[in-house]
Amino acid sequence: MSTPAAQSPSPVQAPPVVVARGLTKTYDTGGSQVHALAGVDVDFHRGAFTAIMGPSGSGKSTLMHCLAGLDVATSGTVHLGRTQITGMRDGDLTLLRRDRIGFIFQSFNLLPMLTAEQNILLPSQIARRKVDQERFDHIIDVVGLRDRLGHLPAKLSGGQQQRVAVARALLNAPEVVYADEPTGNLDSRSGAEVLAFLRDSAKDLHQTIVMVTHDPVAASYADRVVFLRDGRLVDEVVDPTAEVVSEHLLKLEA
Amino acid sequence: MLRTTLAGLRLHVSRYVTTILAIMLGVMFVAGTLVFADTLEASYEKSVMGSATSVDAIAVPDPVEDEDGFPGDPVPFDQSVLDDIRALPEVAEADGLIRGQAVLLDAEGRAFGFTPPTAVAFGETTRFSASEGELPAADDEIALATSTADQTGFEIGDTVTVLDTEQDKRDFTLTGLVDFGVDTGYAFGGAVVFAQDDIQQMTGAEGYSELNALATDGTSDEDAAAAIATVTGTDVQTGAQFGEEMAESAGGDTEMLRVALLLFGVIAMFVAGIVIYNTFAILIAQRQRELALLRCVGAKRGQVFRSVLTESFVVGFFASALGVLAGVGVGAAGARFGGPLMGNEATASLVVTPTAVIVGLLIGTLMTVFSALIPATRATRVAPLAALRTSATASGLEKGTGWVRAVFGVLAFAVSAALVALSQMGPTDTTGLFIVTGAAMTAFVGVVVLGPLLVRGIVRVIGIPLRRTGVPGMLAVDNSTRSPRRAATAMIALTVGATLITGYSVISDSFETTLTEQLEREFPVDYQVSAQYNPEDQANTDGSEDDDAAEGAQGGDGLEEGSPNEDGAVEGPATEDETTDSASVDGLPVDESTGDPLVPSEIEQTLSDSPQVGKVMSERFTMVDEDPDDFSTMALPVSAYYGAEMGVDIRGEAIEGDLSDLEPGKVLLTENSAEGQGVGDTLTIPAPGGDLDLEIAAIVETNATFWGAVVDPEDFTAAFPEIQEARYLHLRSADGADPADVRDAVYSAVEEYPTVQVMSVAEMKNQFSEMMDIAFYTIAAMLGLAIIIAVFGISNTMALSVLERTRESALLRALGLAKRQLRRMLSVEAVLLCMIGAGIGITLGVLFGWAAAAAVLPGLVFSVPVVQIAVFIAVAILAGLLAAVLPARRAAGTSITGALASE
Repeated sequence: MSTPAAQSPSPVQAPPVVVARGLTKTYDTGGSQVHALAGVDVDFHRGAFTAIMGPSGSGKSTLMHCLAGLDVATSGTVHLGRTQITGMRDGDLTLLRRDRIGFIFQSFNLLPMLTAEQNILLPSQIARRKVDQERFDHIIDVVGLRDRLGHLPAKLSGGQQQRVAVARALLNAPEVVYADEPTGNLDSRSGAEVLAFLRDSAKDLHQTIVMVTHDPVAASYADRVVFLRDGRLVDEVVDPTAEVVSEHLLKLEA
Repeated sequence: MLRTTLAGLRLHVSRYVTTILAIMLGVMFVAGTLVFADTLEASYEKSVMGSATSVDAIAVPDPVEDEDGFPGDPVPFDQSVLDDIRALPEVAEADGLIRGQAVLLDAEGRAFGFTPPTAVAFGETTRFSASEGELPAADDEIALATSTADQTGFEIGDTVTVLDTEQDKRDFTLTGLVDFGVDTGYAFGGAVVFAQDDIQQMTGAEGYSELNALATDGTSDEDAAAAIATVTGTDVQTGAQFGEEMAESAGGDTEMLRVALLLFGVIAMFVAGIVIYNTFAILIAQRQRELALLRCVGAKRGQVFRSVLTESFVVGFFASALGVLAGVGVGAAGARFGGPLMGNEATASLVVTPTAVIVGLLIGTLMTVFSALIPATRATRVAPLAALRTSATASGLEKGTGWVRAVFGVLAFAVSAALVALSQMGPTDTTGLFIVTGAAMTAFVGVVVLGPLLVRGIVRVIGIPLRRTGVPGMLAVDNSTRSPRRAATAMIALTVGATLITGYSVISDSFETTLTEQLEREFPVDYQVSAQYNPEDQANTDGSEDDDAAEGAQGGDGLEEGSPNEDGAVEGPATEDETTDSASVDGLPVDESTGDPLVPSEIEQTLSDSPQVGKVMSERFTMVDEDPDDFSTMALPVSAYYGAEMGVDIRGEAIEGDLSDLEPGKVLLTENSAEGQGVGDTLTIPAPGGDLDLEIAAIVETNATFWGAVVDPEDFTAAFPEIQEARYLHLRSADGADPADVRDAVYSAVEEYPTVQVMSVAEMKNQFSEMMDIAFYTIAAMLGLAIIIAVFGISNTMALSVLERTRESALLRALGLAKRQLRRMLSVEAVLLCMIGAGIGITLGVLFGWAAAAAVLPGLVFSVPVVQIAVFIAVAILAGLLAAVLPARRAAGTSITGALASE
């Protein structure tokens, strides 16, 4: 455990947006029980860009799903702001996701029959929310999609598709954005672009972002990296570099 | 390879559920029809054979031929023939059946039937028996045909009144019911059964219309029949031969029913075929990677092809087997409950012929394999490399519709339009109907070809308001055009049924409107009074009508034919051309020239005096024949309307001239009697009061009202002074009279004459539209099956699409779309599909329904049954909602994380 209290960049010190306590998730797979999460305590602070890392099967995706209300934890609590989301009914969770959370997935982020613009506006339309035109224009320009708005996803490159997904997640200024391997399917250049957008939006827009990844280079864009193994939080690095992250990872897998 | 196929089938069995249901329903209908018809036929055969073989020989008189070779009524056997037969050594017992006619009064005291029912008396030895109760034995007892009892409502033990030859009422106790089945001689106008001693007095009938004999012990039936033949001089059949012949003629009915039902079965199977095709096409598309993997590991194209076909064979065979089982059940239920409705109790046990089973299995299996041919061919084109590509289906939006397709589709519509135009130009007959059918099929091909374009176009239009309803509506609109070809195929299955039902409803409605309007226009009357039409010369009645059961192929429709009001006005004066010596029938005056009874002038007088009746028009009628022995000249019907103003009270379509020009010295002639003569020509009518030389004032269309020549009453009275009574009285209510009072006035005027028939035009219209409605609902129910199958198809398409879009649904849910909204999205999509299918079907149906009706019925009044179509659209919406229920539940129930994780 290295928790260098000396280096204290402000985002990490800001009040926590997402707080998980004693989170467990157990799957029944034909008699034997698998503990995907075995008691996780973790905080995510406002405006911080946090990466969750760990070897395959460490429970990082499950953690994200439980934090985001996509999956139901077996025990423990998750708070988003002052709202406890564990124990909420499905209908309320749906509203919560719609209004307060943004998502970026590894692939299949976009609906194929909607244009880029329609995809970006979709959550607002579901919520029948008025779109902040200024913010929309700003985000579109930042991600460089201005001339691609009328295209269907099939006509966009992988990097462009992910940028559409990023724009969609950021448009409503949600309390937290969850990104699940957002660069997993991209070449390194496109991936770098997307990650830069995420980092910049955390800095410039004070956007809280939680990203699951297994790529140390991707994790190095974050303010903080937490490591998971066998369903437990085992390590943490603040202001990571790719090398440091790789070292920690190797240590975990050893 | 087979093992792989079967393993795949087991894995995906849920995807086939609706397809199996669709095939099953189609096969069920076909197999059910066969079982039903076979059972019906067998039970009829059994009952006929049972009754006929209860005697050993049956003799009926030969129909006589008159000197011109025209068949006349057979002359019954007299008593001496029976005595001679009884004396034969081969014959143990023999007896005869006497047949005449008797006027049966219903519960209200009015004569039953448009014609008097047949009256029969059986002898001791007879092939008939009572199906309920006892045959009449005493002279105050009577039995009725089962169908007659049903129609009059009489039950065993009731008192039944019959008029005797003197027109005096006599009361009988109903002791039994006789099931004459579909025996035409009895089923047609009903039948009453008297004791043998009684019938002479009741009907005046003499002689035996049928002789039944039992052979002595040791004599074969054939020998007995041969011996009897030497006495009668006619062909004499054994009981078995007679029964077989009767069963054969009645089999024709069952055969018609079978063919009609099978037609609906074929439609159902056709729709099922479309559904099967779509299912396999979608499954093949979804399994691209699976198939590619098979190719990667070394499967040849042929093996992939055979694998898909094997799969379709297994599915088809399994579904067909289920369908045959269900069909046997349906057939049994049909025979059990439907048989009695058609006057045929299913007495035989269920008949399941190997043919029914084999045809059911074959038709279902072949249809499935055939429908899977194109998808199977497509499967062979999957390249092995496709296995390595990521998710081929998710991104794969279908390509647009090629211009070749568009041109071909438009061409089909153009040809169809040309055919419709052609059908409307020719004469109105069945040729036009065939052309319209051809046009409809061509148009349907056009719809199939242009389907994807149509779907996209229509959705674009309907989608504009729908998009505004929110995200579910917007997504549904987008989703429904994602694979237009798939959507089009699902929709077309529904279009078939929708077209047929709408087309039929338009034809039915237009016919009804046309006929009632024609009636109203040309004959604006409220009541029509006529004498009960008597096809026989009552004075020397011998009960000789239509003795040979084998002669008439129709029957089983005794339920409809007997009611008094159906045929009256539509049919016009009867065409019988018999001579009579009697001046009175049933106490009514008689037309000397035709022997038909007339309406007593007393009734005419009473009605004219009644304040409730506004106008009495008396139609007098006769037939004139220049030379009754020369059959090359047709007799000319001549009528005159007393008390009516031509062109005002009585209207018609004049081809030439004007109806109102009729005056003394002139004549109106119908088109078919004109024989090339035109307005201004002279027509000579030979008449007892001196030949009439008349100038033709107008040529009119032949129809329900006009038939032959219409002359001025003045001329008619002069030419036929002996005709003083009306054939028909046409009555119009007084202005402002209460309909109930008018009814009372009319009925009280005829009270003394039970055989005089009163027909209310309103009642007739009701009855007519009721009949049309029953026919419509029956056919709609039959076509309903095709609709159900189509809805299964839509549901299946939805389910498979949902499966394909699992990740999309999960994404939408993750982004905050509520389950309810997801379900609504799918419902809207399904309803949209159903509406497009129904909409195209309704359009085609209205168009071709009109074309078909206009092609066969001159002067058609086109009428669209708005209510029925509205109901149909409502059904389509409901069907769409139902079709979406299961797929939507499935989509909403899928775990988000699971769906997102699964690649």
